[in-house]
Amino acid sequence: MNPTPPAPAHPTADTVLADLAGMLREVLAEYGDDDVVIGMSTTFNRDLELESIDLVTLAGLMEERYGGRVNLAEFLAGMDFDEIIELTVGRLVEYVVWSLKSTQAG
Amino acid sequence: MVDAGGVRLHVQRLGPPAGRVPHATVVLVHGLLTDSLASYYFTVAPAFAAAGLDVVMYDLRGHGRSERPPEGYTLDHNIDDLTALLDRLDVTGPLHLVGNSYGGTIAFGFTARHPGRVATLALIESEPATASWAAKLGRILHRVTTQLAGDEAAALAWITAHRGHNTARLAKGAARLARETTLGRDIPASRVLTEAQISAVRCPVLGVYGGDSDLVDLVPLKRGLLGDFRAVVLPGHEHSVLVEAPGTVGGHILDLLGAGAGVR
Repeated sequence: MNPTPPAPAHPTADTVLADLAGMLREVLAEYGDDDVVIGMSTTFNRDLELESIDLVTLAGLMEERYGGRVNLAEFLAGMDFDEIIELTVGRLVEYVVWSLKSTQAG
Repeated sequence: MVDAGGVRLHVQRLGPPAGRVPHATVVLVHGLLTDSLASYYFTVAPAFAAAGLDVVMYDLRGHGRSERPPEGYTLDHNIDDLTALLDRLDVTGPLHLVGNSYGGTIAFGFTARHPGRVATLALIESEPATASWAAKLGRILHRVTTQLAGDEAAALAWITAHRGHNTARLAKGAARLARETTLGRDIPASRVLTEAQISAVRCPVLGVYGGDSDLVDLVPLKRGLLGDFRAVVLPGHEHSVLVEAPGTVGGHILDLLGAGAGVR
């Protein structure tokens, strides 16, 4: 596995989208899907066909990358079931950028 | 991944924030076929960890990210797996068990086998293994194996049209499990509990039910057999009450744990 560069000091939607797209490709590779286009409007459920257990794997990859600064479990636990079904990559990108910025101050 | 006596199980563990020492361990056991530890990970688990608990979640054999051996799917196999997992994880101190649907049947079976080890037991939309339980599971699994695994493409098209894409995705995994393992035969053939074995469970037991679920009908039976049984019925919900109303379900479970040993 390639060494992961450190989390960006000034996170932007573009850098976080690139991070998350890389992690999602890693998750999807288990299904043999290695040629997936991932953008801000991509949905986890309908477009990527991810099951909830795949999101647990994604949570682990995000923790490796961002440490305790981003908590996918808490983010999703605050949503109702229909919101999770409709969740887009863009919404997660916004959450990650916000989490990284709000933990940077201290 | 943890080797639980010959089968590798996917485990996730969440602890209290900022290095606080947990008061007790709660093990969350998920349901059959379409279920996985994700049903807890993204619902009640973060709140349980924040409440000071060591939260252990695992995928049952054949489910989620755990190994899928071709055979060995009776209730006793699942109870053996849980026993081996707890030994491997070195869980000491108060142990609370939570089970959703079939996960509750496993949690109850573990408690009946090791009554001294369990401080409290929470059963979400669940029941102990009885002869009528085995017969019901036999009917459900027969339907899955004949309709879903039989003509999978047609069944999945119907599910996508009537129940949505997400359910179809989960059903595909269930069909694979039914096709590639002996689960469909093993579970209805499981050894069930006698009334005396059910009554031997003396710890506080909480039952959580969806108001529109037929499992509510079992409340009087459990009240008669169990020494310390409390039932909560949530109107407007069916079997999926854990993922539909996680805040309410989690709150009732934390109340139970507060009344049990070792938790503030």
